Amino acid sequence: MSKVSPLVIAAAAGFVALVLPFVGSDYAVSFSIQLLIFLVLAYSWNWIGGYAGYTHFGQVGFFGIGAYVGSILISRWEVPWYFAAIAAAFAGALTAVVLGGAMLRLKGPFFAIGMFGLARVLEAFALAFDSITGGGTGIYLKPVSDLRPLYYGVAAMAAIMLLLTWKLDNSRLGLKLLAIREDENAAESLGIRTTRLKIGTFVASSVAPAAMGTFYAVYLGFIDPPTAFAPNLELTTIAMVLLGGMGTVLGPLCGALVLSVVNEVLWANYPQIYLACVGVIILLAVLYMPRGIVNLCMKSGWLAIGRPLFRRLAAREEQTAS
Amino acid sequence: MSDTILAVENVSKRFAGRIALDDVSIDVARGSITGVIGPNGSGKSTLFNIIAGTLRPDEGRVLVGARDITRASAAEICALGVARTFQISRLFAEMTVLENLVAVARGRDDRAAIALALELLDFLEISGIADHWGAELSYGQRKLVEIARALMLQPRIMLLDEPFAGINPRLQNRIVEHLRALCARGITVFFIDHEMRIVLSECDLVYVLAEGRLIARGDTQSVRNDERVLQAYF
Repeated sequence: MSKVSPLVIAAAAGFVALVLPFVGSDYAVSFSIQLLIFLVLAYSWNWIGGYAGYTHFGQVGFFGIGAYVGSILISRWEVPWYFAAIAAAFAGALTAVVLGGAMLRLKGPFFAIGMFGLARVLEAFALAFDSITGGGTGIYLKPVSDLRPLYYGVAAMAAIMLLLTWKLDNSRLGLKLLAIREDENAAESLGIRTTRLKIGTFVASSVAPAAMGTFYAVYLGFIDPPTAFAPNLELTTIAMVLLGGMGTVLGPLCGALVLSVVNEVLWANYPQIYLACVGVIILLAVLYMPRGIVNLCMKSGWLAIGRPLFRRLAAREEQTAS
Repeated sequence: MSDTILAVENVSKRFAGRIALDDVSIDVARGSITGVIGPNGSGKSTLFNIIAGTLRPDEGRVLVGARDITRASAAEICALGVARTFQISRLFAEMTVLENLVAVARGRDDRAAIALALELLDFLEISGIADHWGAELSYGQRKLVEIARALMLQPRIMLLDEPFAGINPRLQNRIVEHLRALCARGITVFFIDHEMRIVLSECDLVYVLAEGRLIARGDTQSVRNDERVLQAYF
C-alpha cells in the first residue's frame, strides 16, 4: 500500500482552509473558527502533554487569561483585536514563566490536578475582581461584522503551530522532550537539562492558548468566567489529542477534525443525547485505539512512520561512509 | 595519587536509619578498569547513584579530578564527562536505537551527532538495529545500546551498573573486549557486577563491598584470596 506523505495531507488541508471563506456559508466559517481554535489549543497542549509527557488540565487557565487581557484592552482602550491577541499571548507567557518553576516541581497526577486547580483559582480571580473583569456579568465586546479576518488569523495560527510541531518532531529538541516523557531521571542522568526544557516547553505551550482566548472573546462578542475558564474546553482539547495521537505531528489535526465534525453532526441531529454519544466515542477510542488515529495509520501502513529526518540523515551518512 | 580521576572519600548513606554505605572510600585511576563487587544489598548501586548525582551522601564527598561533585546535579556531573548505564535498562522505549543515541548527544550539529552515533553502533557491532524501537530489543541488545548511549556523551569516565548481569558468556566476552578498547582510547571504566569470572580476570583494581562497608581492595589475585571476601561470597 502506498504511504500518504504528511506533507500532502497538510497541503490539502491548507488549501481547503484558504478557499473556505469564499465558497463556504457563514455557518461553515463560524464552525471552522471554532475548529481552528481547538486545533491551536490541541497543538499547544500536545507540546507539553504529548511530547514532554506532562499531561495537565490547566491550559484553559492561559486561555482565560488571554480572553480577559484581550477583552479588557479592546473594550477599554479600543485596541485592535490582533494587537490585543499579541498582548494576550505575552500575558500568557509571562504567567507561565512565573508559575512554571513552581508547578513543574510536581509530576504525574499531581501536576495534572495542580494545573486544574490553578485554572479554578484564576476563574475565581476573574469573578472576584469585578471592577476590572466585570465579575459574573462579564465583558461585552462590539460584535464583529465580518468573521473572515478572524478566520484567517486563527487559520494562520493553526498553520504556524502545525509547522512548529513538525520542526519539533524532527529535531533533537523533540527527542529530548520525548526522553523526558519516557524516563525523566534517566534523561537527567544522561545530561539532558530537564528542568530548563520543561519550563521552556510549558511557556511555549501557553502562548497560543492565551492568544486564542482573545480570538474566542472577539468571536463570541462576550466573555465571562464560566466561558473563559470552561473545563469543557480543556477536556475537548485533551480528547482531541488523545483521539488523534499524543506526541505526533498529525495527531491533533486528525483528532480536532474528527471530534469537531462528530460533535457538530451529533449536536445538530440528536441534541438531547449528543454529549453521551461523544463520551461513548471517546471511551471506545481510548479502549481500542489507545495510541490514537495517527499511530493506527502508521501501524497499518497508511502513513509514513514519524520522525523521518534522523533516519534520512543517517542513511546519507552511511552512503558517504561507504 | 596524581592520576586519580574519580575519588569517593569517606562516604556514608543511610535510608530511614538503615546503613546503606558506611565510610566508603574508593580511588579510580585514569584509564583503568576498576570493579566493585559485593552481594545483593551491599550498597553497590547506592554508591553508583551517589557518584552519578541521583543520590546525595549523608557524609563524605565525591571528586572528579580535583572538582568536588558531591552537591552537583546529575546533568552537571554528566557535563564533567561522567556517563552511566543502568542496572535495569532504561532505554527510551518509544524511540529508535539511533534516536536514543542522538537524543543525548552534545553540541548543536545534527550531522555530527548522527555520524558519532553510527560510528558507536558500528564499534559495538550493532549497526543492524539502528532503526529498531527501544522496546523491541533483546536484553543483551539493550545493554549494548545503553553503553553506546553513554559513549555518545564522549565521557572520560564510564559508570557501568551490572553490564554483565543476565547475558550469555559470548556477549559478556564481547563487552569485555569493547571495554578494553575503550580503555585504550583513554576512557576510564568503573563498573559494579556480580559476575566474579569477569571481575576477577579483567579488572586492574577490585573493591569488595559487604553490608555497606568496604571489606577488601586490591588486584584480582589478592581479592581472590582474601579471607573476608571468601566469607562474604562463598
